[in-house]
Amino acid sequence: MAIPPIAALEIGTSRTVMCVGESDESGRVKITGVGTYPTTGVRKGQITDLSQARVGVESAAKQAEKQADVSIWQVLLATSGGHIQAAVNPGMVTIRSGDRVVSREDIEEVTENAQAVQIEADRQVLHTITQSFTVDDQPGIVKPEGMRCKVLTLNAMAVHGLKNRIDNAVNVVKSAQLDVTDVAFSGICAALAVLTPEQKRNGVVLVDLGGGTTNYIAYCNNVISAVGCIAVGGDHVTNDIALAFNIPLNRAEEIKRAEASAVIDPESGGRRVTLQADVGFEERLISCKALHTVVNARLDETFRVLRSKLDEAGVLPHLGGGVILTGGGAYLRKVTDLAQRVFGLPCRIGLPINVDGLDTVEQPAAFSTAAGLALYGRLTYADRGIFSPLKNLFKGVFHR
Amino acid sequence: MSQEQQSGLLLLGVGGGGCRLAASVLASYGDGLRALGVDTDALSNRAASAGGMTCLLLGGSRLAGHGTGGDAIQGRLAAQDDMQNLLPHLQGVRTVVLTACLGAGTGGGATPEIVKALHDMGIATVCFVTRPFAFEGESRRKAAERVLPMIEENADSLVTVALDDLFSDAGEGVLTDAIRVAEGLVAAGITLLWRLLSRPGFIRLDAERLHTVVLKGGNARFGFSSAEGPGRAAQAVAALRACRLLRSGDALSKANALLLGILAGQDLRLAEVGEIMGKLRDVCKSDCHIEMGTVIDAQFDGRIELVALAFESWTAAAQVEPRKEAQLSQEPPVAEAFPIQPGSKRGRGKGSKLSFGATGRGKFRDVEPTLFGGQDLDVPTFIRRGITLER
Repeated sequence: MAIPPIAALEIGTSRTVMCVGESDESGRVKITGVGTYPTTGVRKGQITDLSQARVGVESAAKQAEKQADVSIWQVLLATSGGHIQAAVNPGMVTIRSGDRVVSREDIEEVTENAQAVQIEADRQVLHTITQSFTVDDQPGIVKPEGMRCKVLTLNAMAVHGLKNRIDNAVNVVKSAQLDVTDVAFSGICAALAVLTPEQKRNGVVLVDLGGGTTNYIAYCNNVISAVGCIAVGGDHVTNDIALAFNIPLNRAEEIKRAEASAVIDPESGGRRVTLQADVGFEERLISCKALHTVVNARLDETFRVLRSKLDEAGVLPHLGGGVILTGGGAYLRKVTDLAQRVFGLPCRIGLPINVDGLDTVEQPAAFSTAAGLALYGRLTYADRGIFSPLKNLFKGVFHR
Repeated sequence: MSQEQQSGLLLLGVGGGGCRLAASVLASYGDGLRALGVDTDALSNRAASAGGMTCLLLGGSRLAGHGTGGDAIQGRLAAQDDMQNLLPHLQGVRTVVLTACLGAGTGGGATPEIVKALHDMGIATVCFVTRPFAFEGESRRKAAERVLPMIEENADSLVTVALDDLFSDAGEGVLTDAIRVAEGLVAAGITLLWRLLSRPGFIRLDAERLHTVVLKGGNARFGFSSAEGPGRAAQAVAALRACRLLRSGDALSKANALLLGILAGQDLRLAEVGEIMGKLRDVCKSDCHIEMGTVIDAQFDGRIELVALAFESWTAAAQVEPRKEAQLSQEPPVAEAFPIQPGSKRGRGKGSKLSFGATGRGKFRDVEPTLFGGQDLDVPTFIRRGITLER
């Protein structure tokens, strides 16, 4: 089955990214066009100004169309923000057959039960991810078919967000004369692009350090065990620097990119960095150590918040594969060192290796979400079909 | 388990200096005392554990047991890293007496974190902290001053001892011995106070009064003196008045409340107690609230030791009702000295917290706040953690 090119859009807090992905017979997706544009009107992953955000979408789409030589009218949209939550819902079924052997029908029934998650009326389910089966008292069963038991249980994790917030992002895209075929959580997209099957087996947490949010997704024994979003990102680092040294945000961003480090550099002792003079801004000298202290405090705290969330979910002891950092924030100096200290686990930067065609872009980890979204589009194409563009049937994709 | 171990009282030394203090209290008090030392330096930990004290290494993964190198931020992070390891040692503990020497990395950085954690757990804290000698330099003095308000915010009572004030007591000793001698004296003082609490004598300094005075008294000055031979009562008071820790009697004359412990042997005479109290009343303000207690212990035979805590900011409203006879006849458990209700707000209304309204959030002033653990994460972390930036 030939799949048409997929356009994946991420309206990030710092920039809007549009990726066009084309898939071959083997199922691999190649990014043929990338468009980026600095975002305005988005804070902490959420739209605060529809018309400003629209400009970013239009510009990024135009750029991607030109590069991939396609015309885009339908996109997949990645969403994020502090409102994104996950809830685990258990589904249960009693095996009624005389021999008490689990049949395919039983599995379908328990899956249906598990996916019927009760959430508040103002929330929308983005993904329903099936976790592992429990056969009577024995947990962690992947394929229960043919096993003998009385009760079969399946946990399903529903990732949901506030309907209005998601609709706002969809409306921005619509105002740019584009259709939205599906909405996916950014963290899940990044995981699709970055994580290897082996890492998922060993247990791993992927941390997507974005501009406005930090998304995380943890795999334990090949199953997604924790998903979430902390509404703290690179923008907070910039804001902290701006407030610490009383400088404008754009200068703070500049100095963050040039000099910031997540770990206080012992050799930075008396070193000072110069902020060049600009219109209405005198030349300033800033202590490197102070800068590192500000950045360290923020990232240390973010990782600790994340650690406590993972601890709460009970996944911390099962992360043999360590911590993988992706997103633009992963390129901050020594951020892996800091994560290693806070989590006490090996840590490295994760690139979108499951997607081709991003070899030439600068800082490929910043494109993990958009590239992963194109891959998500490829994986869910059959479910979505041509006639049901907004139907969300995201079943079992993450198994194996 | 000994009686002390059951009492719910823990002596906790933080940092190199704090561990040394705790170890010397432990050495002079005896084996029954439950003591714990925490430090980032593996070497000093080893030295302290040689004295029979349980020791815990902080920030092992961060600092590899090499200490903080005087960096309070490292001390703070190390404490945050390993706070979980502290929990098993706090089982059944209701009151922690914490000793620390401020000015350096672990004492200055880890102490506020630990005090805050203890406060959050509903454990009462009494902190004895020392300020560095003047000769240790301006940066240490500043570092110590920065940390004090952070400790004060969460500690139930804070006793600050300026090591410089001990100098006269250290005599003309060699300079390098000064710290050791001074710390020895502070440790001796804490030991005396501890005895007063745990081995009540004829006239008891009853635990609840002590609790009220200490908890509502805020910052205190701490001093002690000793005298023997004929006229020992007068000499002890004179020595106490001369004690530089009490600002040569200045703290006594300004105090609104005074907590006095008289430690003596079986030979303590009623007239001597009267003499001590009479002389002290002459020194103190006429409306000064004096709480007195005695400890009779054979090891003090022929000697009188006085230990005083002077509270300047104490207010009469903090006075407690007279205790009932029935309660007086009971032996007060040591931990009852500072009883608290878990989770209760034990703020002393002291120390002002900076409030960060819209202005502290900068770019995020008009968006929905990101809240976690009661904190607004949009406010810069360095502000919330009270980190002072090098300019």
